Amino acid sequence: MRRLLGLLPLAGCAMGGAMHQAVLVGACADGDAACSRRHALAPIAVGAHFHPEVATEIAGTSTPNLHVESAAPDVLAHDGDALVAKKPGASAVLITTDDGSVVDFVHVWVAPVTRITLARRDGEHVAGLVGLAVGEDLTLVPTLWNGAQSLAGEAEATWTLVGDATFAMLPDGAADRRRLRARTPGKAILTVAMGDVQTTLAVEVVP
Amino acid sequence: MSTAHIAVVGFVVAAAAGCAPVLEAESPAPPGRRARLDRVEGFWGVKSYRVELSQGAALAVSCQRGPSCEHMTVTSDDPAIAEVRTASLALLRPNLYGGGATTTAELVIVGRAPGVTHVHVHAEQGDRDVAVTIIPQPGTPPT
Repeated sequence: MRRLLGLLPLAGCAMGGAMHQAVLVGACADGDAACSRRHALAPIAVGAHFHPEVATEIAGTSTPNLHVESAAPDVLAHDGDALVAKKPGASAVLITTDDGSVVDFVHVWVAPVTRITLARRDGEHVAGLVGLAVGEDLTLVPTLWNGAQSLAGEAEATWTLVGDATFAMLPDGAADRRRLRARTPGKAILTVAMGDVQTTLAVEVVP
Repeated sequence: MSTAHIAVVGFVVAAAAGCAPVLEAESPAPPGRRARLDRVEGFWGVKSYRVELSQGAALAVSCQRGPSCEHMTVTSDDPAIAEVRTASLALLRPNLYGGGATTTAELVIVGRAPGVTHVHVHAEQGDRDVAVTIIPQPGTPPT
């Protein structure tokens, strides 16, 4: 079990608890490279949802049924299976058993978004101009930043396309991710905005 | 009262104070936040404890006196300011007095809202009072 927990940081930037008994990671599918950006090693972006997954190492026992609680719900609220970043600050996230006894806790930070960049689903950065053939797909994930610090969490952004090319903009199973399918040739500007912060990407579609 | 009587009474008081449980911090403060436990020393030794904790932060504290504290319960005078929970730390601590080892008795103090309150630790080995001050998160306007 100790070796298994040792591998978690490699798999997804695990955050060890202050009592050294549990780790907190983002719930991501295996091989989802872009999802690794959401792990709680980074602060969570204000307005974003973070889906935690906890694992424990407790001597002589398998993992008990665990719950997650926030010490400062005005900073980081607990909503169903997600932590919701409300305002900048820090909050201990308590990992507790059914009777409320604390197994471990992790201090999680919340920061505002000052910059957005775009990445493909494999995590590769996308900027400037992207060319697509008619019928081709491009899946994009916004990456949130506070200065040089990348932020964790899944944020609902506004996606708009303006231009003479036409696209189908499809949901892709995650709130923050979109799949663009090029329909007709032309040029367009894609804008992804979250509050006052936005980024643009030029897209050219060829026959 | 003779000098001998005073010395005996003093020894008993000192022994009683010395036999109350010892509390120790078991987790570090997060960056830029406070989470510390300090002893309040009196003439006869540790009189009580005080905790300074940032709002939203948590602090793990262990309780022992020889063996780990037995049948430990913790209460807060104002859980809206400082909430207390028992904790499960799977760690054996040696009994320095009688030998052997027992699982650590631990509690967690959670800073809920700025203010001052007291936490009381009760165990078979004795009681301890902890004065807790919760500091506002940086950038929080004073209320």
